[in-house]
Amino acid sequence: MDATLRIQRFVEGKSWVQEYTVAVTVGMTILEALTTIKEKQDPTLSFTCSCRSSICGACAVRVNGNAELACEILVENLLKRYDTNTLFIEPLGNFRVIRDLIVDWDPKYAKLKKIKPVLQPKAEFSAETGCKQSPEDFNKYKKYAGCILCGSCVSECNKNTLNQDDFLDPFVFVKAEKLVADSRSRSPEEHLQAVQDAGLWRCFNCQECTAKCPKGLDPAGAIEKLKEATFRMGLSQDVGGKHAKAIYDDISESGMLDESKLNIKSEGFFMAGLRLPMALRLMNTGKMNPLESHPVNPEIATIRKVVQTAEKEAK
Amino acid sequence: MSTEISRRTFIKGATAAGVALAAGTYFTWNGHNIPEPVKHGDVTYDVLVIGSGGAGMRAALAAAENKDLKVAVMTKLVPTRSASTMAQGGMNGVTGVTDPQDTVESHVFDTVKGGDYLCDQDAVEYFAEHAGKNIYEMDYMGYPYNRQEDGSFHQRKMGGSSHPRAAYFEDRAGHAMVHALFEKCLEQNIDFISECQMLEISMDGDKLNGVVAMDMRSGNLVGVAAKTVIIATGGYGRVYWIRTSNPYSSTGDGIVAGMNIGIPFKDPEMVQFHPTGLAANGVLLSESSRAEGALLINGQGERFMGKYAPEKLELATRDIVARGIATEIAEGRGVGEGIHAGVYLDFRHIPGERIDERLGQVRDLSRRFAGVDIKTEMVLISPTCHYSMGGLEMADFRTGASRVPGVFVAGECSCVSVHGANRLGANSLSEVLVFGHTAGDGAAAYAKDHAYEGNQEKLAQACAKWQDKFNEVTNRPKSAGKTVPEIRDAMVNTMWYKAGVFREENQLQEAAMELSALEKEYEHCYVGDKSHVYNTAFEQYVELGNLLQVSHSIVQGAIARKESRGGHSRRDYPKRDDVNFLKHTLIFKKDGQYVTEYKDVVITKYQPQERKY
Repeated sequence: MDATLRIQRFVEGKSWVQEYTVAVTVGMTILEALTTIKEKQDPTLSFTCSCRSSICGACAVRVNGNAELACEILVENLLKRYDTNTLFIEPLGNFRVIRDLIVDWDPKYAKLKKIKPVLQPKAEFSAETGCKQSPEDFNKYKKYAGCILCGSCVSECNKNTLNQDDFLDPFVFVKAEKLVADSRSRSPEEHLQAVQDAGLWRCFNCQECTAKCPKGLDPAGAIEKLKEATFRMGLSQDVGGKHAKAIYDDISESGMLDESKLNIKSEGFFMAGLRLPMALRLMNTGKMNPLESHPVNPEIATIRKVVQTAEKEAK
Repeated sequence: MSTEISRRTFIKGATAAGVALAAGTYFTWNGHNIPEPVKHGDVTYDVLVIGSGGAGMRAALAAAENKDLKVAVMTKLVPTRSASTMAQGGMNGVTGVTDPQDTVESHVFDTVKGGDYLCDQDAVEYFAEHAGKNIYEMDYMGYPYNRQEDGSFHQRKMGGSSHPRAAYFEDRAGHAMVHALFEKCLEQNIDFISECQMLEISMDGDKLNGVVAMDMRSGNLVGVAAKTVIIATGGYGRVYWIRTSNPYSSTGDGIVAGMNIGIPFKDPEMVQFHPTGLAANGVLLSESSRAEGALLINGQGERFMGKYAPEKLELATRDIVARGIATEIAEGRGVGEGIHAGVYLDFRHIPGERIDERLGQVRDLSRRFAGVDIKTEMVLISPTCHYSMGGLEMADFRTGASRVPGVFVAGECSCVSVHGANRLGANSLSEVLVFGHTAGDGAAAYAKDHAYEGNQEKLAQACAKWQDKFNEVTNRPKSAGKTVPEIRDAMVNTMWYKAGVFREENQLQEAAMELSALEKEYEHCYVGDKSHVYNTAFEQYVELGNLLQVSHSIVQGAIARKESRGGHSRRDYPKRDDVNFLKHTLIFKKDGQYVTEYKDVVITKYQPQERKY
């Protein structure tokens, strides 16, 4: 069976889509298809790869709009998944492209540096005697130690697409949660504060990162855990944190959101005042009425029970 | 048709626009893969490490402890893409936390015996004394060790070890190590010179000028002046191309650069073959396959290991099983043709739940790459090159120094010798840490005591020479000759069949002749890409040149060693010969010729005995 690969090319400022045909064999990965093209058809096609066993993170590309590790995804499976003979291969999204499928990691490392990405062990530990940690405490962060820095998570990250400057890449949050949840650390707040300053609360919660992570690390889950930690460690001064707190208070008190106060509680009087036009629109459509007293949900007892159960579960 | 645009569609559109904008601005944007002073040639590093695997980054961190020194790590990819990430088992080191009975002596003896007595025993003693210390250091650096009840890291027992002494993170011990080191490097603000293909170490007589490299992004040749260079570029498994478990980047670049300035390639013939690589592509099926009871079956449906290891059968050591499989295939009892021929690994009698529980990755790899579900079908495997025991001679294991002043070596590209003729599981990551650390300290001490004595003009000339070479090579017409992959495939056929699991005199002599012919063809091969931006075709051309030189050295070493020992198996000399060959092979490149010398093995406590398991 033949497959057509339409590949987004970009060489020295010129970009175009080039079509190649490859004969699909058993076990042929996207990486193998790319290699076959480079060796047999077009030596100018450029991409990076190293381990071809999904641990080094060098070969992630976008296939039909979704990030994949080229070395582990089979052409045959993709053709089945999309019910087609043609696949469109591009470089990862939300990266600068250097050439063809090769992207620039420098800005990503700069972001990684922002969270002070290394463990600062507690005073009782030393380089000579190492650290102590219970197996349970190890389990709290071990998943997040599995990040291979392939960049798949950020490729379709909607927040990064909108603006990369006030946010981090999902894998940076994964690295941060690894450090924050590590019981050997004497200063989890330091990483947490850095993450909050760098945009923790701006996540859209679209779950694209979790859907794309080839290692199943759930970066979106890591972001939620970091948000929780800001409350636990008393760092919730951020607008996002206050917003979450305001919602929590409303729900526990009345079982309903009080739209007229929510914004004020989150952003403060002054900043909320700047949102007056939106408030007027909300009033106009009947979504908010500051003159009415805030109603209490008749099911408030049940709602409180739900909240309590959820809190118990989380502990 | 709906006129509404969904949020997703809108965002995808915006992304496309963003990509287009990014593309447009690329040429005004200044890459930071290389520190600015390096681009302009106005920096002299005290310590310049080539290679960003475990050894390279450990060395850089050790050297950077002296804040007065300028330290950089150069890599042809970006950091964290190295072969070290692929190591699964763990790192050996005696700490006694899991097994208080373990001793440094035991680690030394296991290593020496495993290495079939080709190890330098004074170096092994140094190694074993320091290995435990490095495990604790990594803990303090944030390595995510699996833990035991008392809170210490847990250590497990690996093949050939008498005690549990390998600390680990799940089955990704190397990956965790590389990332811990990289994060520490970021914290320490170590300079990375990323995406630079090292081409040459430039010398002026016996004075080190620095390193010539191609900045992949711009195609510019950069000459990086340095007082000391640490070569930490990894192994050379890619001489067997798809018949290796190594990454594409393991092409022996540093070994060739080192040989070209007079460092001998020590014991190049010592290559470790792992018995169970997928026949399709060389990817490793873990040792645990055999440990869990998988059987080896030849093309005639016969369980054949009884012929080669009557008692241990499939559970014999890696080298014995690899030789058994290779013999079956060579004698026509394999399945399939050519380099993809193999024998079957049969899991079908193993309960499904046990496969799910313990062999999940093996099942996954078999299904993915061979299209086979091991619960119901047999999977085709054959030996795969796993590790290079040989490498650039380390002249002083207490400093990591080579015999060329200012040039240090560490990791798989080096030969200490700790592993001798055969490496034990989980000794490679410890070697990387111990000697990475040592070489970093050694280079730092040297840099502190010496001024830069190199010649920057000579360095610039070397860059110009490579620039000319780039232009000449990349502009060759298609009619010039064979392509790079064609020559590579021919090289692999020679190496796999004539200098692979088994060797013998006639075939090795043929191999040497074939390699010489390929080296001639290489001189006018076709590369096919003229671009200066990220020219991976040119990079692969450079790597092939290195692989050819490494191959030639392996063959020379294999011809010189007329005995069988560890990973080196001669059909015509099937026994170990301690009278004549208890010594290292040193291959020099002198005036384009390969010259062989020998050096005695250092023996302190353990006289050679027959190696039995």
